[in-house]
Amino acid sequence: MLTKKLPPLQSFLSLVSRRGSHLARQQYDVIVVGGGHAGTEAAAAAARVGAETLLVSQKIQTIGALSCNPSLGGVGKGQLVKEVDALDGLCGRAGDWAGIHFSILNRRKGPAVWGPRAQLDRQRYREFIQSELLSTPRLTVLEGSVEELLVSEPNPEEPGHHIVTGIRLANGSHLISASSVVLTTGTFLSGSLFLGQSMSPGGRIGDAPSSAGLSQTLRERLGLRIGRLRTGTPPRIVKDSVDLSLAHVHPPDSHPTPFSFLNTHTRCKPEEQLPCYLTYTTPGVERVVRESLHLNCHIQQETKGPRYCPSIESRVLRFPGRQHQVWLEPEGVTSDLLYPQGLSMTMPPDVQLRLIREIPAMHRAEIHTPGYGVQYDFVCPTQLSPALQVKSTQGLFLAGQINGTTGYEEAAAQGLWAGVNAARWALSMPPVALSRTESYIGVLIDDLVSRGVTEPYRMFTSRAEFRTSLRPDNADLRLTLKGFEEVGCVSTLRYQEAVRVRDSLQDALAALQALSLSTHNWRKKFPDMRMSEAKSTLLTGMDVLQYNDVSFEMLASAFPECLLPHVEFSQRLKIEAVYRPHCNLQKKEIERIQKEENMSLPQDIDYLSLPVSLSQEVREILDRVRPSTLGAATRLQGITPAAIVHLLNYVRHTGQKERRTHRNQPDRKEREEELCARNAALPQ
Amino acid sequence: MLPCIHRGIWRAADHILRTSRGTPPCRFLSTFNGVPVGIADAETIFALSSGHGRCGVAVVRASGPASATALRCMTGLTRKLPPPRTALLRSITDPQSKEVLDRGLVFWFPAPHSFTGEDSVEFHIHGGPAVITAVLQALGSVPGMRPAEAGEFTRRAFQAGKLGLTEVEGLGDLIHAETEAQRRQALRQMSGELGRLYQDWTHKLKRCLAHVEAFIDFSEDELIEDGVLNQVDRSVCDLQAEIVRHLKDERRGERLRSGVQVVIAGATNAGKSSLLNTLCQRPAAIVSPIAGTTRDIVETALDIGGFPVLLSDTAGLRESPDLVEREGVRRARERVEQADLTLVVVDCTDLPSDAQQAAAFLQEHLGRVLPNQEQPETVFPADRFLLVLNKTDMLPEEQRLKLDRELRRVSGLPPVCLISCHTNAGLQDFLTVLHSSVKTLCGDPLSGAPTLTQARHRAHLQQCFAALAQYQRYRDIDLALAAEGVRLALTSLGRITGHVGAEEILDIIFKDFCIGK
Repeated sequence: MLTKKLPPLQSFLSLVSRRGSHLARQQYDVIVVGGGHAGTEAAAAAARVGAETLLVSQKIQTIGALSCNPSLGGVGKGQLVKEVDALDGLCGRAGDWAGIHFSILNRRKGPAVWGPRAQLDRQRYREFIQSELLSTPRLTVLEGSVEELLVSEPNPEEPGHHIVTGIRLANGSHLISASSVVLTTGTFLSGSLFLGQSMSPGGRIGDAPSSAGLSQTLRERLGLRIGRLRTGTPPRIVKDSVDLSLAHVHPPDSHPTPFSFLNTHTRCKPEEQLPCYLTYTTPGVERVVRESLHLNCHIQQETKGPRYCPSIESRVLRFPGRQHQVWLEPEGVTSDLLYPQGLSMTMPPDVQLRLIREIPAMHRAEIHTPGYGVQYDFVCPTQLSPALQVKSTQGLFLAGQINGTTGYEEAAAQGLWAGVNAARWALSMPPVALSRTESYIGVLIDDLVSRGVTEPYRMFTSRAEFRTSLRPDNADLRLTLKGFEEVGCVSTLRYQEAVRVRDSLQDALAALQALSLSTHNWRKKFPDMRMSEAKSTLLTGMDVLQYNDVSFEMLASAFPECLLPHVEFSQRLKIEAVYRPHCNLQKKEIERIQKEENMSLPQDIDYLSLPVSLSQEVREILDRVRPSTLGAATRLQGITPAAIVHLLNYVRHTGQKERRTHRNQPDRKEREEELCARNAALPQ
Repeated sequence: MLPCIHRGIWRAADHILRTSRGTPPCRFLSTFNGVPVGIADAETIFALSSGHGRCGVAVVRASGPASATALRCMTGLTRKLPPPRTALLRSITDPQSKEVLDRGLVFWFPAPHSFTGEDSVEFHIHGGPAVITAVLQALGSVPGMRPAEAGEFTRRAFQAGKLGLTEVEGLGDLIHAETEAQRRQALRQMSGELGRLYQDWTHKLKRCLAHVEAFIDFSEDELIEDGVLNQVDRSVCDLQAEIVRHLKDERRGERLRSGVQVVIAGATNAGKSSLLNTLCQRPAAIVSPIAGTTRDIVETALDIGGFPVLLSDTAGLRESPDLVEREGVRRARERVEQADLTLVVVDCTDLPSDAQQAAAFLQEHLGRVLPNQEQPETVFPADRFLLVLNKTDMLPEEQRLKLDRELRRVSGLPPVCLISCHTNAGLQDFLTVLHSSVKTLCGDPLSGAPTLTQARHRAHLQQCFAALAQYQRYRDIDLALAAEGVRLALTSLGRITGHVGAEEILDIIFKDFCIGK
C-alpha cells in the first residue's frame, strides 16, 4: 500500500474536470457535498458499497485538507481512526502515508486506552486522499458550489416527510439527481469568520463562503432545528523565527506504529521523524488577552465553543494565573511553518503577534497566517436516525461538524457510516447500525442521535462504557468481518487478512489454553516469576500470560514447538490474555444492552397520548428525541426508571399483538405471566 | 458519558417493581390490554388510606387533576379553595343529594407539594364503615374520579420523582411494619437517610472516577499532576473501610426487618414447648410428659418489646432409633446453626446440687447443643445463647436461690435465667434478658449510622467493595482496568439507589481541572 506511487496532482485535476464536463444530465446513486474528512470518507465508502457516487467540493485542491491541526489520532480519537481503517476507510492509511512523528499516548495506562497519534505532513495527506479517491471505482469528483437541496413535496399521508431528489448547483442552475445526498459541509453552513473586530462570511480563511441556499433549505423547507457553534484555529508561525532551543524537545516513538491494520510500517522511516516542542505561556500572555478583550468580538459571543480545545483567551480567563502548555508542531517535511497547538486565538493580527512574543521561545517569532474564529450552523443531531439519515427526509444523510462534532476523526467516522447508509438507501438495502457495545463509532453515533449536543462533541475513551472490550488492537476483529459480511464496505483483500488474523489468534489462544502446568512446574520454567497461587494449582498458559512480568515471547521461548508459530501476534495475545476475563464479565451486560437495543420503539408512536403511565415531562422528552430503541431511551436524561419499565411493557405488549396477528402465539400465557411478575405492584 | 452507570436504574427499578411486596399486579396489567382502564395520569384516583375496620378517624385521599373539583363540590367551598396544607373543619356533603355525610377535617395539597406530586385532597372523617362507604361513593360520583389501584399513590409519587428507590422500599416496609422498632427503621429509610448515605458514597466515587478518567483522557495534553491519582487512592481506601464498617453491622437492619431467629433447643422433656407456649401465650405446641413429643419445628412470630422475633421450638436432642425423630433432631441442629439466638432449655432438676458441678454440667450440656463440634472449647458468645433453667417450681426455694446466686458467679457461661413455665415464676426477668439480647441483635434503629435493611443492598455493597479492590490491584499496572473497577463500584452503588447521572463525570473533570473553559 505504501509503496505505490501517487499520481501527480495535475492529472487528478484534469481527469476530474474532464468528467465534470459531461455531468449535465447525469444521475447518481449518492451525492456527497463537501470534501473534508467526513465527505471523503463518505464518498469512498458509498462507492465501496457499490453506489455510483459524486463528490461535490467547492475547490478540488482543498479535498483532503487538514484545516486546523496537522495531526491525527490521540486518546479516544486513535480508536476511531483504527475503526475507520477496519471498515476500509481512508484516514488510517493516509495517516501512515503522511505521518512524520508517531507516538502512542497513554502508553503506561493500559492497552485499552492507548492513543495512537501522528503529526502529519499536510501536503502528503492531501495527496494521498486525492489519489485514493481518484483510484476508487464508481466515484466522480466535481468542483462546484451547491445552491439548493432538491426535495420532493411532503407525502400528504405523512406530513413533514420529504424525499431527497438531488441538488442544484450555483451559477448555471444545473440539476443533478440522486437517491441519497450526504451533507458534510463542516464549518461552511452559514459560516462566519472572526478576526479581531471584523466578521466576514466563510467557513475557512482563503475559501469562498458557501451559498445561503443550503442552510435555508434545511431550516425552512425541511423544518430542521438548527443550532450554532464556534471553533477557532491558531496563527501559523514561521519556523525559522522561533528559538527552539528555549523549548523542550518531544521526540516521537523510536518505532512508529502504523494506524492501519494493513500496514506493517509507516512511509516515514523511524530516523526521518520530526520532533515536537513543548513550551509554556507566561503572565504576559494573560495580560495581552485582557488588554485586547475589547478588540476581540469572537470571544464575546455567547455561542458554545469546544470545551476540549479552547482558545487561549478562554483558557487564561477561566484559569488565570497558571501556566498553559503550548505545543509547537511541525506542519510537514518541507514546510517552514510551525503549528502552535493551544494558541487558538481571534484577536486582531497585531495583538496576536504581541501575544506570541510574550512566550520566550517565540520572542522574535513571525506570524505567517493569523489565527481566527469560525461560527457555523449545525443540525441538532437528535433529528437523525442511527444510520445518520434525517428522520423526516428520506435519503438525506449528515456527517461531521454539521452534526455538532469537532475533530477530524469524529468527522471521518460519521462520514464513513453516512456514506455506507446513503449507498445502501440508494441501492434499496436496509440500513445498518453499529452498537455502542461493539465500537466507538457506535458510541459516537448513539450519543449524537439519542442525546444531542450542547457543545462541540469530542470522543473520549470514558464515553465508551465497554472500553476494555473496544480496544485499538482489536478493531479489525470487531469490525472488518462485519464490514465485509453484513455491511459491504470492506474489500476482499482486507477481509482475507482479518480472517487470517482471527484464525491465527484463535489457534494461539487455544494453544495457550492447552498448555497446563502445575505452579511448581511453571516456577521451574520461570524462576523469576512471582506466583501467589498455591502449589497444587494447575495454571494454563493463558493464566500465566496475565502476569504483569510475563510476555508471550518468554512463553514462546520456553515452549517453542506450540507457541513459536504465533509470535507474530505477541502483543495482541498478551493484551487478549490480560483483558479476556474482564471482557467476559462485561459480556452479560453487553448482551442485555443488545437485547434492549433490539426492542425498537416505533417511530410513529404518539408519546403524548400513549396509554401508558408516564409523567408529562417524560412524555415530552420522548416526544422530542424519539429514541429508536428502548436502549436509547434508557440513556436519555430525565427518563425515570419507572418510565423505562412501563415502556418495556408497552414494547413487549405491542410486539406481542403484532405477532399474534401474524401467527398463533403459543407462548402468550407465558409472556403474560412474565409481565405479571415484572409488574408486581409497589407497596400500597 | 458513562451511560453504563445509569443502566443501574433500569435494573434496580425492574427489581423493585418485581419484588416489592404488595397485591398481585393483575389490574395494573389491564392498562396494557387495551381495556380502557386507565390513562393513569389524566385520571384522579381516590382510596381509603387508613386501615379498614372500625376506628376513630379514617383518612380518605384523592390525587389527580379533579381533586380540587371533588373538594369544592363536597365541602361547599365554591368561591375559593382552602389555604394549602392547612386543616379546615367542614361539613362533607354528597355532591348530588347535598346530604351531609359527616363533619371532618379537609386538607388541600396543591401540586407539586403533595405526596404524589399532583393536586391532592385528604378527608379526615369519622371511622365508621357507613361514613367511609358514603364518602367513597360520593367521591366516585365526581366526574373524572376512580378508585385507586393497589400501590397507585406510591407509584405516582415514584414517577413524579418524589420518592427514590430506597425510599419506596422504606415506605413499603413502613406500611408493613408490624413492630415499633421496624416502624422506626422504615421511617428512617423512607426519609432517605440510607439513600443519602449511599448518595454520599456515590458522590465520592463519581469524583474518583472523574479524576481517573481525567488522568486517562487528558494527562497527555494537559497539565494534570500525578497527585490526582494519589488522592483517588486515599478516597478508595477510605470508602472501602466505610463499606466494611457498614457491612459489619452483623445483619442488624435485615434482622429487624425480617425478624430475629430465636431457637429453643435442649434435651428432651426439658420444657422447650412449654416455654414456647408461655412466650406466645397460647398452646401453639403440643406439650406432654412423653420425651420426644416435638418432632418437627414449630414456629411462631412474636413481638418482644417492639422487636420482631421468629421463635422456633425444636425436637429434643437425643440419640434415637426412631427414623422420624432422628430427622427432627437433624433439623433442630440445623436450625440452631442458623439461629441468631438460641435458648438452651435445661431441666433444673437434672442439675447436680453443687454449684461448681452444676456449672460443669451446663458447660458440657451446651457443648452438645452447640452445632460447632470441631471446637468444643469455644467460649459461648453471650449474645448468641441464653441458658434457661426450667421447672424451678420443682426445686426447694432455698436451693433455687443458691443455684441462681452461684451460677451468676461462674464465668464462661451465657446468661442464665431460672424460670418455671408452670408457675410463670422468673418469667419477667427472663423477658427482660431476652429483650436486651434481641435489642443488641437488631441495633437501635434511631441511633448511629443507618443500617442495612435489605439483602439486595448487602449484595450490591459487597460487589462494590470487590470492584474497589480491582482498582487497587490494577492501579499501577493498567489504569484502564483500574478505572473499570471504580466504574463497576459506582454501578453497584447505582443499583441500590437508582440514578447516577451521566454527563456528571465530565462536568466534575472540567470543574476540577484546568481543562477547557
